[in-house]
Amino acid sequence: MQIKNVLIQSSLAAVVVALVGVGYASMAGTPGTADANPDGEKIWAQTCNRCHNVRSPNTYTDAQWDVALMHMRVRANLTAEQYRLILDYLKTHN
Amino acid sequence: MNMKVPLAAIVPVCLTLCGAQGGLPARAADSPETAMSAPPPTGFVTRAEFDELRAEVDATKATARATLPGTSEFNLAGYGSAGLVYQENEGDRLFYATFNPLFLWKLSDRLLFEGELEFELEGDETDTALEQAHLAYLLDDYVTADAGKFLNPMDAFVERFHMAWVNHLPDKPLAVYDGLLPESIVGAQLRGGVPVGPAQVTYAVFAGNAPALVTDTNADPGTLSFDNFSNPDGHFVYGGHIGFLPVPALEVGYGLMAGNVAPSGGDDVSALMQSVDFNGVLDSTVLSGMVRLNAQWVWSRLGTFNYGVDAFDNNRDGGYAQIAYRPTKWGIPALGKFEPVYRYDVLEQKDTPTGTNERRNTVGLNYWLTAMTVVKAAYQLDSTDGGVDHNAVLVQFATGF
Ligand code: HEC
Repeated sequence: MQIKNVLIQSSLAAVVVALVGVGYASMAGTPGTADANPDGEKIWAQTCNRCHNVRSPNTYTDAQWDVALMHMRVRANLTAEQYRLILDYLKTHN
Repeated sequence: MNMKVPLAAIVPVCLTLCGAQGGLPARAADSPETAMSAPPPTGFVTRAEFDELRAEVDATKATARATLPGTSEFNLAGYGSAGLVYQENEGDRLFYATFNPLFLWKLSDRLLFEGELEFELEGDETDTALEQAHLAYLLDDYVTADAGKFLNPMDAFVERFHMAWVNHLPDKPLAVYDGLLPESIVGAQLRGGVPVGPAQVTYAVFAGNAPALVTDTNADPGTLSFDNFSNPDGHFVYGGHIGFLPVPALEVGYGLMAGNVAPSGGDDVSALMQSVDFNGVLDSTVLSGMVRLNAQWVWSRLGTFNYGVDAFDNNRDGGYAQIAYRPTKWGIPALGKFEPVYRYDVLEQKDTPTGTNERRNTVGLNYWLTAMTVVKAAYQLDSTDGGVDHNAVLVQFATGF
């Protein structure tokens, strides 16, 4: 009985997540990171806003961004490419 | 190991020198006065070219130096909050304040230490806790190894959203925080992110001390104690989280954790915790603003144990769904600082000795002073089947730094 409930709940949750995900992706209409020449600002704006409000690049020095972005690389599981492009963007706009 | 560092420092310098010189000969003959002492193989460099080269070498040296251990960079980050809880029906009525300093040391280009303390003044008690203390090492582009006391990677709310300036309501949702899952793991993990075509996959796998089963019939038997730092029973848990990001602004994840939580000497008591999470932001012109969606659901399944009370199925479920909206694109800057929020959260444990099913509807309004500073006010409607309903007014001032 309990197991059946769990299964029903999990499948429902999975369906809802899948549906919302698809709807969301089409609404947002963003091309993801597939750009042949992705630019740091776009990746920064999309990636860094997911969990919390973005902090303006000029609120930190280069050295502070070095530490903060390494922190985020670990916490947010950034890909190495996202990390490099975003760090470069932040350091050239602070 | 010692040999690698000087090599790493020297190789880029040589490469820069060789690379730069390869490109020089064409115009070099024009300015013989800038000739270097040793005759160059193919000609001379101009003063400007020399200076450019010098600058490049200096920059490369600085980069190389930064990779040496001992040249660490340090940030003091973290957050603080102050607030008021006013619950009906003889519930909590108090002001509180919290301070969570976060110490971040970048010890080299691959090594990061993160330590967090928590000071919490609630009523007349000040609680102090070591929230995190762990050392992360970037093994390569896709794998980071991490060990110590770290936030539970299979619980998205705990790892990413519970901090006062990140959380959009004054209090935290049931089940996912201080509920069915541990807040931190003392152990080790491997984690990272991998691009998959236009999308991205994130992962974390970990092993750590197992939570301890509460067997005392006076202390909510069948629940788990997560502060199991000395691990007297010698059990471990294993788990992980996998996330899928169709676009960078949205992550859908699944986490799991399993292990034996039996007291020492007793028969095994299995624990299986699962979680699904959905977290995203939609910055949309159609909606004239920014919508944040956060949801997570947790299933906790524990094996049987003879507590000395009537047998029960130790199954507990719960989670939350939350939506927040910032009207940032109405052309009225003052309006864009406000953020209405709604959250529904649940914790079902009626069939256990705890004996309650709790459901809450919370509406809130935030005012963002800066990206990391916010004033939050909320009203909470509580319905506890098997217990007392505590409707509440919640106010909080929170800042990240
Ligand atoms: C997966 C969620 C997530 C994503 C994505 C994310 N962050 Fe964070 N960020 C956090 C959390 C959680 C904290 C708070 C850390 C704490 O207090 O433990 C934080 C803290 C910060 C801080 C405060 C200083 C610090 O190091 O704690 C800065 C600055 C920051 N993030 C910048 C960024 C940038 C830039 C990006 C884009 C690369 C980013 N974040 C992406 C979750 C995220």
